[in-house]
Amino acid sequence: MALNFFDQFMSPTYLGIPLIALALSLPWVLFPTPSSRWLNNRLLTLQGWFINRFTQQMLLPLNLGGHKWAVLLTSMMIFLVTLKMLGLLPYTFTPTTQLSLNMGFAVPLWLATVVIGLRNQPTVALGHLLPEGTPVVLIPFLIIVETFSLLIRPLALGVRLTANLTAGHLLIQLIATAAFVLLPMMPTVAILTATVLFLLTLLEVAVAMIQAYVFVLLLTLYLQENT
Amino acid sequence: MGGHDAGSQHQFTGFAKYFNAYTITGRRNCVLATYATIATLVLYFKLKPKKKAVTAS
Repeated sequence: MALNFFDQFMSPTYLGIPLIALALSLPWVLFPTPSSRWLNNRLLTLQGWFINRFTQQMLLPLNLGGHKWAVLLTSMMIFLVTLKMLGLLPYTFTPTTQLSLNMGFAVPLWLATVVIGLRNQPTVALGHLLPEGTPVVLIPFLIIVETFSLLIRPLALGVRLTANLTAGHLLIQLIATAAFVLLPMMPTVAILTATVLFLLTLLEVAVAMIQAYVFVLLLTLYLQENT
Repeated sequence: MGGHDAGSQHQFTGFAKYFNAYTITGRRNCVLATYATIATLVLYFKLKPKKKAVTAS
């Protein structure tokens, strides 16, 4: 049977039951529920500190109207980071390599920011489609370009996440396979390849966290434009 | 992002008062006019009756 490097991205099923539902609910069981005690343990304290710090950072560019999104944005960030980190473990499935999942996150959230902008401040929302000071000759062209860039945002959000993770996982598998195959033939080259693999894994851990942050940050910026 | 232009330093008259690239209402009106033009063109070409081909007898 020929090795297919894309098999790792197939949504797993068992007896017809899609296991992606299990993969998506796994982050929920990994995080402890905050207790009602006055002094929590170290893990809860660390979790609470991280959530507070991240929420504070996320809400910096937003006015009061955008603060309603705090729970959604923070939980989205923690969910995405956890899914990606779990996906970097060997033999695990990463749900965020599925374009359908990422588009399912990106499209409704982007659309919500656009609808909020059109509902609460339609003049400003429409006025944003024409940069200030545009020469008269370029006005229609720039409006079309800005409209297109607005409509392409959810696609960019979803595809950015999918492509980064898919490419990273594919690279890891390719280099790991190369190291494994080279081990009996050229051990020195195999050790160098393994070193590259180690560095790449560190890079993928960073990319996983950064991509989740970028996703949430861009949503924050889109929200800032529309509130 | 830069603050919205209140338009106080621009004294537009006539057509430019409503359609310009400096005030927020001017920009909004330009956007709406562009969308209306595109919609009109699309509707025109969609609803235009197609010429029947004349066959030689």
